[in-house]
Amino acid sequence: MASVAELRAAVDAALQQVTEGQAAIQAAREKLGEAQQSLAAALDGSANDAVGAAHASLSQADQQLEECFGATLLAVEQAQTYTATL
Amino acid sequence: MSLLQELGAQLRATSDELPTGLVTVAMERLRTATELLNWVRQTSVDPIGVPQLGNATEHAEHAAAALRLTQDAIAAYLAALGLAADAGTPPDQDWKAGLEKKDKQDEPAPAPGQEEQQPPPEQLGPWWRERVEKLTGEAPPPPQANGAPPERTADTAELLRRVAAGVRSGDRARLGRDLHGVNAATGLGLSAVTPPVLRRLAGDLLGHEPGPDDLQRLRGAAGGRVKSLLPGTPPATLDTLLARICRTPPAEQAPAHPADSAVTASVLTGVLLARLGRDPATLDPGAPEPLRPRGVDA
Repeated sequence: MASVAELRAAVDAALQQVTEGQAAIQAAREKLGEAQQSLAAALDGSANDAVGAAHASLSQADQQLEECFGATLLAVEQAQTYTATL
Repeated sequence: MSLLQELGAQLRATSDELPTGLVTVAMERLRTATELLNWVRQTSVDPIGVPQLGNATEHAEHAAAALRLTQDAIAAYLAALGLAADAGTPPDQDWKAGLEKKDKQDEPAPAPGQEEQQPPPEQLGPWWRERVEKLTGEAPPPPQANGAPPERTADTAELLRRVAAGVRSGDRARLGRDLHGVNAATGLGLSAVTPPVLRRLAGDLLGHEPGPDDLQRLRGAAGGRVKSLLPGTPPATLDTLLARICRTPPAEQAPAHPADSAVTASVLTGVLLARLGRDPATLDPGAPEPLRPRGVDA
């Protein structure tokens, strides 16, 4: 049977992992922004289907990362609420 | 260089620099957090953020898939321009992304007045060491005679290399010492850094990307050695790790102790490295990319 201190410490350890995950998400979004700019500059005026697909999937990746970050915020809030009740 | 070649080079660079490694790091951190919270959740009816973390992980997986589609689209465009053959495919570096040292400047600054304070004592230390003892069968080393705290590795990537070295030498006592010699946060971090490394090593061993059909072969190649070094590891833990490598759904089971997955994954990494005849130093992100064999008889 785990003690309250252990439960609290395990949640803290999990939140540390989430924080590191959030940092990676933010860094990934910055890189995505740079990639979007670079593609837009290089492929300006192209009507090729593959170019359209590249733009669309980059934009989708960014949106997914944004939603991912939002979900982690909710998770952190719930976990903190839980530890406050311990 | 012609204008067309210049455009091709620029597009290849953009494709290579897409943050696939960072997204993988994020996914694995979130999975490790979920594993820890699932363990806590066994004592509570509170969801403790687990469903939200599940959503977050799913979004990260979709983002990773979208990045792969972007790379495919750029490759298709390059092919349409007749430039594809010029490209030397760069080695896949994503598997090392989680092993990179964290940049000090990315760490939050300590609060004013706390710069010189010692970190608080670790609450999970006994919890971690108790589980390491159960898994390895090796008791924690006795405290030093002078009462000084033991020197601890605080870097998960360094711990992984040490574990791999212990596996290579087949020295279970050394393995136990290295695992006991870290705090829980460093040890649990093994869960987050090992998945892409395991998949890459398994792929190198098999000679192709691991799939569901490779499960038995990998189990045969690594299972016995893992079991001999970790006599206390539940069989389901290794099966789950191998299933993840092979991208096949693991069998349903109760949430495992978070340390089980972390420790077993690190030993499995060492076993696969040894099967490939590679030195643990090849896990250093700065080490040259190992040559990918055509397939080793596993």
